[in-house]
Amino acid sequence: MAELTLDRLRKSFGSQEVIKGLDLTIADGEFVVFVGPSGCGKSTTLRMIAGLEDVTSGAVRLAGQDVTRTRPAGRGIAMVFQSYALFPHLSVADNIGFGLSLQRLPRAEIAARVRAVAETLQLGPLLERFPRELSGGQRQRVAIGRSIIRDPRVFLFDEPLSNLDAALRVQMRLEIARLHRRLRATMIYVTHDQVEAMTLADRIVVFNEGRIEQVGSPMALYERPANRFVAGFIGAPAMNFLAPGCALLAGLAVPAGAREAGIRPEHLALVAPGDGAGGSVELIERLGPETFAHLRLPDLPDTVTLRLPGDSGVEPGTAVALRALPDRVQWFDAAGRALAATRG
Amino acid sequence: MNRQNRIWRTALLAAPLAVFGLFVVWPLMSSFYYSFTNWNGFNPNYDFVGFANFGKIVTDRLFLNATINTAIWMVAAIVLPTALGLGLALLLDRKLPGARFFKSVFYLPICLSAVIVGQIWIWIYQPDWGLLNTVLRHVTGAEHNWAWLARPNTALWSVIVAWSWQQTGLSMVIYLAGLTGIPGDLLEVCEIEGASPWQRLRRVVLPLLTPSTVVVVALSVINSLKGFDILYIMTGGGPFNSSDTLAMHMYNESFAKFRMGYGSAISVVLFLIAMVVIGLYFRQLRKVDRIYG
Repeated sequence: MAELTLDRLRKSFGSQEVIKGLDLTIADGEFVVFVGPSGCGKSTTLRMIAGLEDVTSGAVRLAGQDVTRTRPAGRGIAMVFQSYALFPHLSVADNIGFGLSLQRLPRAEIAARVRAVAETLQLGPLLERFPRELSGGQRQRVAIGRSIIRDPRVFLFDEPLSNLDAALRVQMRLEIARLHRRLRATMIYVTHDQVEAMTLADRIVVFNEGRIEQVGSPMALYERPANRFVAGFIGAPAMNFLAPGCALLAGLAVPAGAREAGIRPEHLALVAPGDGAGGSVELIERLGPETFAHLRLPDLPDTVTLRLPGDSGVEPGTAVALRALPDRVQWFDAAGRALAATRG
Repeated sequence: MNRQNRIWRTALLAAPLAVFGLFVVWPLMSSFYYSFTNWNGFNPNYDFVGFANFGKIVTDRLFLNATINTAIWMVAAIVLPTALGLGLALLLDRKLPGARFFKSVFYLPICLSAVIVGQIWIWIYQPDWGLLNTVLRHVTGAEHNWAWLARPNTALWSVIVAWSWQQTGLSMVIYLAGLTGIPGDLLEVCEIEGASPWQRLRRVVLPLLTPSTVVVVALSVINSLKGFDILYIMTGGGPFNSSDTLAMHMYNESFAKFRMGYGSAISVVLFLIAMVVIGLYFRQLRKVDRIYG
């Protein structure tokens, strides 16, 4: 296990700079999730850490040792790919033991270690099968088995659950969380799935256009985003962004320099007609335990999303009035930077 | 399925089946029939001789010679183009300068007919002014006028070289397509797990090329069994039957010596050999199918 440091890391493809100077320290045993929109550089950064992508400038340090020019095999890392990357011609046992067999370890030792790993991942009865005879979840467990058998210093996960269906994704997410708790290993996990990021991470790193926008615990990012980008990216449904003069913000003290306000769907409340900004329900999304109502307000160009209890009887077309919880409104300046929190 | 559809399907299926029956099934059945006769190919009067032609095969020294040559021809005609095609594909798959040009150059011979390939290589092997002896003369400084196609110990192998030259391009193209199909993730796993270039080739790339190898070997087997024309052009089975294969022997017995009955018996044996080879091939194919789908 080891601490990982990225020091002014840059990457260019030709004249196109895709990673624009990253500084990040990941503590020993920490579970860090990289999130960001497509093309923001999170996977490229992961591949530079793995050694699969050359670094244009800057350094990657593992346990204090510069590994920027070290070949992938020499870094002591393991990687789990989105595609599982299992060898179709090898059985489950041979896939898990692939790295050990390359080191020419005795067969008996490889078999024993493969069995031990397989048992922890409930793969014991599947050892003789070929990958195409497995389900998606089983394949991903084999890929994880191959990564843990070498006892690496850092685990890298590149969108490992993207190819699974929703139910399996939840199950595998829990398994990865258990794995981290059991191994206490340094893990870096790339995803575009907010739920994975929020539930798995000790800390989330939000990427945008080759830069880190913010690093912090999931709740810190959710409650105190550093800027408009993070505020809009973290949280589903996304934060509502409002112009300071709109009826929904009437009566609130606008901090100096504020150009925009943000409020999350759960921080808006329905009130009696006349006690808040009036509007009508345009669309309803019922998710079971909660309902999201998309409201049209006369002075706002976009709809406003409001979270309601699952058994809410609100229907599309209903006229409503709503109010923002004043201490939950976040303010952003002209550059999109968050202004000092207005709540205590 | 309504009646009109049924009529259409039957009609459309009947046409190719009739062609197949006329040009494949009928000659095949005829061969079986004539293999039990002493027909000379012209005379309407002939006798049934039972298994006499097959009995003669057992004692025919030329048949044994042709069988050995066929075995050499088939093994070499499968192994050489496959190995050379794989080697070239692995070389050209790297982003080398001029790779695209060389791909075209190496593929070109497959576009030529066997007659042209045979003629080109007859010139190359020509004892006095052929390219091969000329090069050997310049390289070694000694006089070289070896008659490659006229010597029993080099004739068959000289044709095999010409055949491989023509067939290698096809194997190369199939392997190049196979290499393109290997997911980059799998090669990256090799890097992360610490596979040496040799381990990567032997344990990952070659096994992942199995579907390509299946196609290459299938084509090589089919082409080598049909590989009559180039032998006919270059040596005609000679000298002294040294490049005589079963197909060539069958041709000579049937159409040069006019022993159609005996020639048919040889063709039946050749058919049975082909069935065994194809049977073995399909057994392997099932194993490949289990893994690669």
